[in-house]
Amino acid sequence: MRINYYFLVLSAIFLISCSDDEGYSEISDEYPPGETPKEEMVSFDLEAVPYSKLSDYNFYDGELKAMEPVSTVLPYELITPLFTDYAKKKRFIWMPATEKALFVADKEIFNFPNSTVLIKNFYYEKVLPENEQKIIETRLLFKRNGNWEFADYVWNDEQTEAYLDLEGSYVALEWEENGEIKSTDYRIPSENECVTCHKTNEMPIPIGPKPQNLNRLYNYTDGEQHQLQKWVDKGFLESFPKEIVTVKDWTDESQPLEQRVRSYFDINCAHCHSENAHCSYRSLRLAYSESESLEHMGVCIEPEEYIAPGLLYIIMGNNKERSNMYYRLNSEDEASRMPLLGRTIVHREYVELLEEWINSLENNCQ
Amino acid sequence: MKKITFFTLCIASISLCMAQDLCEEALGVDFGTYSVGGIDGEPAPENCINLFNNGEAGEWYKFVPQQDYYLEISTDLAVNTGKDTRFHVYVGNCDDLTCLGGDEDSGNNLLSKFHFNATQGTTYFIVFDNKWSSEGFDFEISEYVAPETLIAFEASVINPMPPGNTLGAVDMTGDFLDDIVSIAADNVNILEQTTPGTFNEINIPTSNAPFIPSWSFAVADFDRNGFNDLLYGGGAGVTFMKASSDGTSFTEISDDQFVFSQRSNFVDINKDGHLDAFVCHDWEPNVYYLNDGFGNLVFNQGGLGDSEQGGNYGSIWVDYDNDGDLDLFIAKCRGGNTEIKINQMHRNNGDGTFSEVAEEIGLADPIQTWSSAWADFDNNGFMDVFVGASSFEDGSHKLMYNNGDGTFTDFTTGTGIENMMSMGTENVAYDFNNDGYVDIYGIGGRILINNGDMTFTDAQIDIPNGPVGDFNNDGFLDIIDYDKIQYNQPNGNNWLKVALVGTESNINGIGARIEVISALGKQIRDVKAGIGFRYMNSLNTHFGIGEDTEISKVIVKWPSGIVDEISNPDFNKTLVVEEGSFLSVNKTAYKNLSLYPNPATEVIHINSAFNIEGEKYEVFSITGQRQISGTIQQASSIQIDRLSSGIYFLKVYANGKVFQRKFIKE
Repeated sequence: MRINYYFLVLSAIFLISCSDDEGYSEISDEYPPGETPKEEMVSFDLEAVPYSKLSDYNFYDGELKAMEPVSTVLPYELITPLFTDYAKKKRFIWMPATEKALFVADKEIFNFPNSTVLIKNFYYEKVLPENEQKIIETRLLFKRNGNWEFADYVWNDEQTEAYLDLEGSYVALEWEENGEIKSTDYRIPSENECVTCHKTNEMPIPIGPKPQNLNRLYNYTDGEQHQLQKWVDKGFLESFPKEIVTVKDWTDESQPLEQRVRSYFDINCAHCHSENAHCSYRSLRLAYSESESLEHMGVCIEPEEYIAPGLLYIIMGNNKERSNMYYRLNSEDEASRMPLLGRTIVHREYVELLEEWINSLENNCQ
Repeated sequence: MKKITFFTLCIASISLCMAQDLCEEALGVDFGTYSVGGIDGEPAPENCINLFNNGEAGEWYKFVPQQDYYLEISTDLAVNTGKDTRFHVYVGNCDDLTCLGGDEDSGNNLLSKFHFNATQGTTYFIVFDNKWSSEGFDFEISEYVAPETLIAFEASVINPMPPGNTLGAVDMTGDFLDDIVSIAADNVNILEQTTPGTFNEINIPTSNAPFIPSWSFAVADFDRNGFNDLLYGGGAGVTFMKASSDGTSFTEISDDQFVFSQRSNFVDINKDGHLDAFVCHDWEPNVYYLNDGFGNLVFNQGGLGDSEQGGNYGSIWVDYDNDGDLDLFIAKCRGGNTEIKINQMHRNNGDGTFSEVAEEIGLADPIQTWSSAWADFDNNGFMDVFVGASSFEDGSHKLMYNNGDGTFTDFTTGTGIENMMSMGTENVAYDFNNDGYVDIYGIGGRILINNGDMTFTDAQIDIPNGPVGDFNNDGFLDIIDYDKIQYNQPNGNNWLKVALVGTESNINGIGARIEVISALGKQIRDVKAGIGFRYMNSLNTHFGIGEDTEISKVIVKWPSGIVDEISNPDFNKTLVVEEGSFLSVNKTAYKNLSLYPNPATEVIHINSAFNIEGEKYEVFSITGQRQISGTIQQASSIQIDRLSSGIYFLKVYANGKVFQRKFIKE
């Protein structure tokens, strides 16, 4: 009964879209009749996106707020994710059935085909006063004519729909995190804010989907599988090498401290602190592939920008209080804090890890 | 010698060695070098350094000078290389100690030194604390001899709120003395300079500002009510705080426009006599707020630096082509291979439009810069620019010489600037040694003294950039350094400060060109609100005149077109010029309002660019007595036949401004 109902509704959407334009019917041709049930079809017409509503894409099966993907949309996780004021995230990827992504390098974004869509839902659990889940926004990055473009869908209060909005806005939030009440004026980014991080030489790019960030198992609804293998099986990826230099889960205490710190820096900092990025003119190089060098990590490097007195080095071994980077990661002042975007409150747990790493460094730069 | 004595004592008696663990048992010391075995005594009672928390243990010494000395306590000794020390100096007795001072890092790297005037017979307690280490080190007490430097500063502690985050060095009370302004979201903290060098704390609570001046702070009286208003450049928007007519409260003005603010300025962009506000946007085209003349600010975006992805860091409004209006230079910054990082010059076409001309005039540099310092460094009558790099990734500092024909030439090589290896985000131009040649303060807190021949020498002063003003009204520009005023020590050179009161131009005189002519030549300044990157500096315009003992003339060219000329003003003081009060009678044609004929006998006619019918007017004698007053009639003429021969001022009150003109009755 339930299946029938959805079948009808989704077919209706499909039919409307289909009759509206040709772009979509091309994609639908990729599914020979009988192979993919229509309710599993994503609607993605390059001529018409971004749609005005999130539900228009048919990424999800059933109730929208359940964020359960249709079978042609794959969930994925990054080994170490970006911190954005403790928001939880659900990530998905979709691409046309006839297209595949190509492996480029461990540390590089896959070469994705046109019409690839990266879907990232930002939500909180235990949002007060009702102690309930609240989805804030769903960000899309999609590829059209070889270029990445942004779309952002802001969820309504009823959590029944999300609407296209690239203007940027705020959502006042209070929630419980590990037994502690936290609050923030959550920032939904404008398009220009998206670009500030997601770019190389000012051209938009994704940040997360690199082999180094995905090379691990994921618990799919049909069992645990290696993420990249799943992509291959699904027809999303042509192939991947056996050996991939891979970041560590920063919370995994069995991994070396330094690699946990560097893994966090990669996803949280390297989008600006890399060649051709927003802040490439500063000497820090915080991509996992570059940060083995203590100099790239700022150890015993004098900061070029004055932030506060007494901070003599970006990192001073065994002295967090004199380490400019520690100060900035531990700050909520908007001109001092790092990263500049995406964080307004301190990521306490990571700052503790950073302290542990700084304390492990013997070089006090003298 | 003392050191040996101390060691002998230490070996002879354990108790003596431990004596410096308590205030009561602080070890008496004299001039000389001492070894501290380790820090394990009572902790320092109060933090006299105002930086980091005190350690849990301290080591106590006391010094009682036999006569008055200028004393230095220092751990900045070769033997301490690699160590990190800090100490506090107190006066009083062990039950009641008061901070005199102390130091964290004034020595090399992490070592400390502090000097002060010590009075004969006073007990000075010196307490080292173990914040960084409990290990031993040496210290030295000596008579302080100031090193031979090109310029000297003496620090004096202040207590602004919030501490260590002073943003403004600007008059807030209308007396033309620079005050110290610090901002919290719901409070304006003013340390009001009352008599030179003394301050009265004023706190003015405000509404909770949605945007705080994390990125920049600008100050000017945009509603011309006699009290300066504030602009908070925040990371997500802009808040204005408009001062009430008695200066005791502020009304907040904010909107929901997203602006990642960088440098902000108050400036009359559209030349209507009212101050507008300009704000650099890091991520989008720049924004500006046009003042409608009734104190309302209308948001605009576009037309003044339209890089889609921003990269706008340091805007500065300066008349580079000497055409009488302000042009907009933008110091730009952005990683990667992109045009966004190329600096821009928006030439004011004088008709309300601007043209971006950086490329054609030679200023289109990709240098990663957050601010540039503009001044006529060689006093040839044209504004040059120091473009300060905040990173050498795309080129280092540049001194660009204004050729006088609207173009610039790279003049860096040979000036000494090519050897400057430090860098920073703040760069401003002031004459710190009052020698008549403008210096550069920037590249990470260095003062580059202009030698007068377009070469520069690093003064070896290291004061992290802060607001610049004159906090003891001695005519030498001081700097706010975290929680201290660094008082610039006078060197005997003469000076003049000019404070402007606009009547038909904006009230702060922003955009006026001031010329000071003395034996050493003609110096020029453009009056600005918002230079460097973050801070708001004095709105008084400062000139050093070196050893000159006469200023032949001060000329103020106002944005309205009015020109005031003051002959032989007194120097070593502040000259307050109200717009139109030193008019030359020879000049009769003005943009807004002119009188004819001039000289006149029976009737003087008013030719104005706008309707003045029904507006109030007054005629004053040269001694300030009102002779005639009334309302302007349709013919816009005033009978002056009853005036005796002489020079008179006519004041017309219109458009919320005062238009003052001089005429001669024959």
